[in-house]
Amino acid sequence: MSPCGLIRLQTSRGAMAILAWKFPRTRLPVGASALCVVVVCWLYIFPVYRLPNEKEIVQGVLQQGTAWRRNQTAARVFRKQMEDCCDPAHLFAMTKMNSPMGKSMWYDGEFLYSFTIDNSTFSLFPQATPFQLPLKKCAVVGNGGILKKSGCGRQIDEANFVMRCNLPPLSSEYIKDVGSKSHLVTANPSIIRQRFQNLLWSRKTFVDNMKIYNHSYIYMPAFSMKTGTEPSLRVYYTLSDVGANQTVLFANPNFLRSIGKFWKNRGIHAKRLSTGLFLVSAALGLCEEVAIYGFWPFSVNMHEQPISHHYYDNVLPFSGFHAMPEEFLQLWYLHKIGALRMQLDPCENTSLQPTS
Amino acid sequence: MRYADPSANRDLLGNRTLLFIFICAFALVTLLQQILYGRNYIKRGLQSGWQSDDPLANWTGLFNVTDDQAVQSGSDTTSRYFEFYKGPFEYNSSRCLELRHEILEVKVLSMVKQSELFDRWKSLQMCKWAMNISEANQFKSTLSRCCNAPSYLFTTQKNTPLGTKLKYEVDTSGIYHINQEIFRMFPKDMPYYRSQFKKCAVVGNGGILKNSRCGREINSADFVFRCNLPPISEKYTMDVGVKTDVVTVNPSIITERFHKLEKWRRPFYRVLQVYQNASVLLPAFYNTRNTDVSIRVKYVLDDFESPQAVYYFHPQYLVNVSRYWLSLGVRAKRISTGLILATAALELCEEVHLFGFWAFPMNPSGLYITHHYYDNVKPRPGFHAMPSEIFNFLHLHSRGILRVHTGTCSCC
Repeated sequence: MSPCGLIRLQTSRGAMAILAWKFPRTRLPVGASALCVVVVCWLYIFPVYRLPNEKEIVQGVLQQGTAWRRNQTAARVFRKQMEDCCDPAHLFAMTKMNSPMGKSMWYDGEFLYSFTIDNSTFSLFPQATPFQLPLKKCAVVGNGGILKKSGCGRQIDEANFVMRCNLPPLSSEYIKDVGSKSHLVTANPSIIRQRFQNLLWSRKTFVDNMKIYNHSYIYMPAFSMKTGTEPSLRVYYTLSDVGANQTVLFANPNFLRSIGKFWKNRGIHAKRLSTGLFLVSAALGLCEEVAIYGFWPFSVNMHEQPISHHYYDNVLPFSGFHAMPEEFLQLWYLHKIGALRMQLDPCENTSLQPTS
Repeated sequence: MRYADPSANRDLLGNRTLLFIFICAFALVTLLQQILYGRNYIKRGLQSGWQSDDPLANWTGLFNVTDDQAVQSGSDTTSRYFEFYKGPFEYNSSRCLELRHEILEVKVLSMVKQSELFDRWKSLQMCKWAMNISEANQFKSTLSRCCNAPSYLFTTQKNTPLGTKLKYEVDTSGIYHINQEIFRMFPKDMPYYRSQFKKCAVVGNGGILKNSRCGREINSADFVFRCNLPPISEKYTMDVGVKTDVVTVNPSIITERFHKLEKWRRPFYRVLQVYQNASVLLPAFYNTRNTDVSIRVKYVLDDFESPQAVYYFHPQYLVNVSRYWLSLGVRAKRISTGLILATAALELCEEVHLFGFWAFPMNPSGLYITHHYYDNVKPRPGFHAMPSEIFNFLHLHSRGILRVHTGTCSCC
């Protein structure tokens, strides 16, 4: 044993002793602070100040009434904000312009995974965002049960650009309420998995189901979750195989993430924003006038009558994934300041009715 | 007290033992040489004036009973080739009988040199081929006892009822439960019956088909089998024809060329369309990896509303066929698709013609040929025992059970 080693041993032992003397219970706070972090994160996602219950919101909406006036400046201000944060005109979809080959991107719905755009994926993207900007009159149609028996179909069809969420049914029984036109339909990979077995087996039902959305864009968040990429790409392959009219657009994860951040700053705490809010935000950035239909995430309508969750079924979503009521309040706020128009009442003769 | 002599086992590798081992080794090598090249030695010996009742000749006769006659007839290998120009001999002429015997007396492929086998095969070409009805019937009845293609070739609703636990061919632990979904894909019953077709052609993909001009002859067959999705485009029509009734697809092709059909499907559909109304035959239950891909083929054809039928090999049939050929000396990890099809064809047809079955690097005249008629991609070594299979076909040809075409076709 060399004397040098002995000395080192002694010094290190001494240092330990000093540490133990100075911070006698140094082990304890580690666990406690970890717990604190967890709690803080938990509170961030599920805050204690959860919204007032839905009855109060419905009451509030009723009190404020649905009177509405377009406010160009508010719309312009909001569009400016949107452009500053997210730039939907360029980043809305994955294009050859904004995602060159070899670029590495992070999945926006996952923590740890990134992907690199390779040759085969790159060839699926359009050159640039394929809309003629700015769009004039947009309608964003949610799937809320409030649309049932609303008679809004005609009004929706009057818009220049109709966006719909999550491959809704547009069969003849619903046309009166939700319209028949569509220019952009979102499709979640989870729907592809549940309804079409990930398109691994027969693809005929999928292709047949798509026919009702003639010539619309299918907007898929392909790069939000790792598991969603393959099914989304398969949607593209399927539609190109049969030479369908629809075009597939892939959502840009950077765009989705910046929109998520934007709303998080405004106090929407959820694991993930709903597709509807993504679409409304995009529409507010892309269109001059925005009207939204079927955004009503409550189980009773404004006359306190129970309604179904969707206009076509009553399957409730997983709880705790989306924060629908908070999103609704934000949209309601935008409606109040006149940046968009939210249709909650049935619209029988609205084509005559001026926007007042 | 009896103790063994401690010095007794000390001479473990001593002089005596070593000598004994050397003698044994020498004897063994000599024995092997005799077996491998025996025939040639004996022939040469005969020509140089050995007696036919020489002990050596008798000894070879032990493992080759039909030998004696041929040996004693004293065929002279040198003069044979000058007789080519005389035109084809009748099938039953004594000359042809003799030539056929020469092929048949090669019991094991390694018994003779390849060039020697080629020579014999080449000289047999000058004989006309005819079916030997009794031999053929006997062979077919053997096949029907072992394999029974007319009822077990494909999985059908009859031989694989709903709820069957189907055993895979190689993944012996793997079991596939036949559920409603799969069951509906099966045909009601086998679409073919015994000896349904007069003349069948089984088209292999050997490079020997190149410039063979056999297209018209293949097209003239009543039923044509093809293996592994071969190209039959304009370029090859002259040599391989276009008529196709059954085409097999190897799932590995689908995996490699068509991304398991998980991505685009139209390219695959386009390839299948070339065969018009041919049924597609897949070894879906060969191993677990093949099943999904094979089932997807059915969905693809249904989705594109194609009239082509999709059939799956019954795993038990495959097991039986490979077992049967193993007993005839085809030792391989897996017998080739061509062999399976030829076996099935022997039961389904009266007359079977094989085209493009030649798995040697050179054709019978000794010219080098490509591996396939469309490319020269060599297979994985040690997977199929092609030469051994071809050798068996040559035997069957000589026995008049089927016909192997290796030359150019004369018809056009």
